Amino acid sequence: MIQARDITFTVGDFALRNLNLEVPCPQYFVLLGPPGSGKTILLECLCGLRQAASGSIHIDGRDVTALEPRSRSIGYVPQDYALFPHLSVRGNIQFGLKVARLARETITRRIHAVAQMLDIETLLDRRIQGLSGGEKQRTALARALVMEPRLLLLDEPVCALDEGSRQRICGLLHTLQRKLCLTVIHVSHNIEEAFSVADTAAILDRGRLQQVGPLHELLRSPANEFVARFMRCENILPAVAEPDPRGATLSRSMGILPMNEHEAGATAGHSVATLGGVRLALPRACTGPVKLVIRPEDIRLLRAGPAPTDANSLRVSLARWRDYGAYMKVEIRTLSGELGLIAHVSHAAFAALDPAAGKPIVAHLPIDAIGVLTD
Amino acid sequence: MFFFVVVFVGFILTLIVADVFYINKQAVLTLIRSRYILHALWMSVWTSLVATALALLFAVPVGYSLSRFRFPGRAVVNAIIDLPIIFPPLVVGLTLLVFFSQTALGKWIETGLGLEFIFQPRGIVLCQFVSAASFALRSSKSAFDDVDSRYENVALTLGCRRWGSFTRVCLPLAAGGIITGGILTWARSFGLFGPLMIFVGSFRGRTEVLATTVFLEQSVGNLEVALAVAVFMMLIAVVALTVIHVVGGRTRLTA
Repeated sequence: MIQARDITFTVGDFALRNLNLEVPCPQYFVLLGPPGSGKTILLECLCGLRQAASGSIHIDGRDVTALEPRSRSIGYVPQDYALFPHLSVRGNIQFGLKVARLARETITRRIHAVAQMLDIETLLDRRIQGLSGGEKQRTALARALVMEPRLLLLDEPVCALDEGSRQRICGLLHTLQRKLCLTVIHVSHNIEEAFSVADTAAILDRGRLQQVGPLHELLRSPANEFVARFMRCENILPAVAEPDPRGATLSRSMGILPMNEHEAGATAGHSVATLGGVRLALPRACTGPVKLVIRPEDIRLLRAGPAPTDANSLRVSLARWRDYGAYMKVEIRTLSGELGLIAHVSHAAFAALDPAAGKPIVAHLPIDAIGVLTD
Repeated sequence: MFFFVVVFVGFILTLIVADVFYINKQAVLTLIRSRYILHALWMSVWTSLVATALALLFAVPVGYSLSRFRFPGRAVVNAIIDLPIIFPPLVVGLTLLVFFSQTALGKWIETGLGLEFIFQPRGIVLCQFVSAASFALRSSKSAFDDVDSRYENVALTLGCRRWGSFTRVCLPLAAGGIITGGILTWARSFGLFGPLMIFVGSFRGRTEVLATTVFLEQSVGNLEVALAVAVFMMLIAVVALTVIHVVGGRTRLTA
């Protein structure tokens, strides 16, 4: 277990404040956040390159707070790799082994093993300056892994790579973590990158942890508006929630609610929210001002037919749309024009709407896909 | 681009060639046979090398400290380091003379400690050091500025202590800039003239260096000999600088 307790660190106007983080071992953990959120500083505190003003850091139960980086059994790959330009690939990889004064045979064996694992055997005698981005990345990984660390810290490891190399390296990192039973803490600002390597993540903003948990939880149940926006939820709507006026007698599954743009149905025992002239059933009981978080990919668009009877089905019109390659981004508005939403739909689903600007359609917002932020 | 290179190099070469054509065989023979001039050559070489070594001894820690650490008065320290570059050379000699002959501390060093500098060969080294060390310090700082501290950080995570990360990573990467500083310092020391005339004089066979030989020979009308010494100095400088550039370049590539 990697534990950071009450870490406080200040540099200029920026501060990490009472930051607590626990990462079970072995695990692939991603530290997400926008630039300037403090991810790298936290990583450097874990490394021992920066000393926190207060708090403690434990690695596998051992308090390493006061230890130098070399005594923490960590591997560190900084952003842009920081490969030593005056050394060859082999020189870079064997750097730590030479510092540790290992026997020549041991050094040769370990270099060979790590080079084979990362498929860089043919690069060993090359100079750093001639390597591609992906080759540099693998060399930097080899340099860290050859020391057989218990914890591998990666600072934006693939941000400088093209899309193809990024996917290959992410796949490699994921495989290596499983194969070596390592704990990896990977700093990134990219959600796709996080999903491609890890199951669990933390989101940091301005020195404070916003949420820690499985990635699907960060996606589906953001703890606050920042997390929702960071996870690219484009529909964050202020609303007022109140108890369901229909009580427990109505059920979404019964499909008997009269639906229109002014009144959407509610589920038994839950609340309804009023926003932009419509009422939406909420998945949990709450009252007062709330913010509704609806992921664009959860909104289903259907051709307008008879009055919709499903809960949270709204009559809307098509406003604008744009092809994003993998999906269509569609802007819709309620017929009264008071509420606008963004939906991501497949090309096939969009074509089935027979789209035209201003055309009335039906938008279905599944009740379970609505997140409610009460703070 | 190459036009400017050709014009500049061509102009310098023309000046040298003009000097060479002015020299006659007798002047060259005088240069080779004069034990005073050979002594001056020896003095120029060893004093400039010692001054350069001393400058580099200071340049590495001072350059690294100024590059990596922030401390109160850093800007003032930076300015003081650059001061000898801006000083007219004569002022350096005058200042040293005043310090060692007029101040209590200077007198104590000269008489109390018995470390005499005025009109002494070691005064040449001191004069060269004060006049030229700033070049080494400034180059060294710039060289360390160019070395990303992340290299040292990575070295720390790979098992190095601070000293190890400095010697194994930072110093080799800054070596090129430090060598350049050394070259500039040596060149300045080797050709130093004004401050030496004031602080150590130009006693034949004692404190005479090649630069002062040129002055002494031309002041007694031996213009051919003076120019022969000057061309000889240029030759030594060109050979030394070329060797240092080649070796320095190779060191940087293979370190």
